[in-house]
Amino acid sequence: MITSDVMTSYIQQSMPDAVVTVIDLKGTMDHFKLKVVSEAFSGKPIMDRHRMIYQALDVPMKDGRIHALEITAEANDGS
Amino acid sequence: MSDPIQEEVDREIKENKILIYGKGTKAQPKCGFTAETMQFFDKYGYEYELLDVLENPAKREVLTKMTNWPTLPKVFIGGTFYGDTDVLDPMEAKGEVEPLIKKAFEAA
Repeated sequence: MITSDVMTSYIQQSMPDAVVTVIDLKGTMDHFKLKVVSEAFSGKPIMDRHRMIYQALDVPMKDGRIHALEITAEANDGS
Repeated sequence: MSDPIQEEVDREIKENKILIYGKGTKAQPKCGFTAETMQFFDKYGYEYELLDVLENPAKREVLTKMTNWPTLPKVFIGGTFYGDTDVLDPMEAKGEVEPLIKKAFEAA
């Protein structure tokens, strides 16, 4: 289990400007839908954006606090 | 000494135009995202293969390293890696998926 604040702080460690929206998909605090908006994504293909998020959350994913993630990654201009 | 698992993966990727590595089987998917990925491709009506790697940590490790992608399912179309439906859904919204699939099947 992990809280959205802790996940947000992990993401902001590598993307300080990131605005993170967290939806707990099953109420078990380990299956999440994440929307991350950051200028770091600007001009980057979708897969690389998702890799950036997975890298930021590498620790809580590896230790099992996060079981499943659905990701949306947008640049500040919505692209 | 080349890695037998890598060879197996390379062969599977070449042999299947649409390939999903996931958890469970077509009849019994054991993960919501694996099922969602199958439904994604069901819409297009092209043949796809689902390979269950749930109980195969060594193969999952090889797949994770070669794709730099930590999660399952993992999708390959025409031998190229495309992540999962989090990647394919936005691509589909821009009409990028169907041409990819057609190209993969025409190239046979």
